[in-house]
Amino acid sequence: MTREPDRSSRQPERRRVLALLGGLGTLGLLLPWLRTSAPARPVQREISLHEADFYRPHDLAG
Amino acid sequence: MTAVTCELCPRGCVIPEGAAGDCRIRVNLGGRLRATTYGRPSAVHIDPMEKKPLYHFLPGAPVFSIATAGCNLHCLNCQNWQLSQRGGEEMEEIYRLDPPELVRAAREEGCRSIAYTYSDPIVFYEYVYDTAELAHAQRLANCFITAAYINREPLRKLCGVIDAVNADLKAFDDGFYRRVNGATLKPVLDALVTMREEGVWLEVTNLLIPTLNDDPAMIRRLARWVHDELGPGTPLHFSRFQPLYRMRNLPPTPVETLDLARREAKDVGMEHVYVGNVLGHEGNSTYCPRDGTLLIGRVGFMITHYALTPDGRCPSCNERIPGVWRSAELFGEQP
Repeated sequence: MTREPDRSSRQPERRRVLALLGGLGTLGLLLPWLRTSAPARPVQREISLHEADFYRPHDLAG
Repeated sequence: MTAVTCELCPRGCVIPEGAAGDCRIRVNLGGRLRATTYGRPSAVHIDPMEKKPLYHFLPGAPVFSIATAGCNLHCLNCQNWQLSQRGGEEMEEIYRLDPPELVRAAREEGCRSIAYTYSDPIVFYEYVYDTAELAHAQRLANCFITAAYINREPLRKLCGVIDAVNADLKAFDDGFYRRVNGATLKPVLDALVTMREEGVWLEVTNLLIPTLNDDPAMIRRLARWVHDELGPGTPLHFSRFQPLYRMRNLPPTPVETLDLARREAKDVGMEHVYVGNVLGHEGNSTYCPRDGTLLIGRVGFMITHYALTPDGRCPSCNERIPGVWRSAELFGEQP
């Protein structure tokens, strides 16, 4: 009769590796969704528009 | 609510707050007029100088060519209507290229000149002016390709930083300008004279459209005006029309019409008359007006023969050919 080798000492290490892989996989699936579902934020900085030359206030009375 | 009057071009648009002028890109925001496409070109290409067309200005040089959206004319036959007849917000592509970046990009691409072209650069006037000033400081030439529908004061200021202009003279008829271009003739003629007075190198293009502006008598009047007001050495380009945009009902200009226009112009004394948009036509090339020597042979935009002396003279008879043939003529010899 043969006996199974005792691997119990390595079980916690395997569990940690599997948990880490599982966690990374879940993160990879969720990240794109998290990114698209982020609430829209207002533009932080207005891009300035250059002021034109050669114009004047219109004289409505004139 | 403060409306403003734009004094850049003869339209003189009165623009209420929040609205744009006729060109679509000069916008009144809070009583201040904003040039919304400043630093935001939508077309950026490197072209040969011959494409502008400028035939007597740094021949064969590559030109860094830009345009933004918008135009102050509305030509029914516009060949760049996707750019010119739309506002900045409608562009598929908008680049961020402030004047220093633009000049740097031109230099990095090996271009010694910048062209403001495609749409009418009058409408992005401030962007042209600031870029041209910087370009000059770095010995880059500035080319302005325009329909010349601009007021005198802004034009005079611009001429201080522009080296060469190709101006469209669309017809010698005010009614044509009103019907086909949504503009008027007189301000264009005034602008061409101002450019000549200011010493900018000037070439003139007349696109001949069958039945609309190809009457030989009108062509003759146009050529005579150019001869008398701008000088017989002004290069005059007669260009072939292609059915485009809202004028697809007319055929391309027959080559015979272009030949006839060329003869009419030479007949009134014009010395350098060209035919454009006809590949391989003898009118693509430059000849000495005195002895007929072929000076610059062209096939399309390609130079196939170059016989001018370094100082721009005919090698056979020593006739000085008007033009700017080397950048040293603009900026002096390289230190």
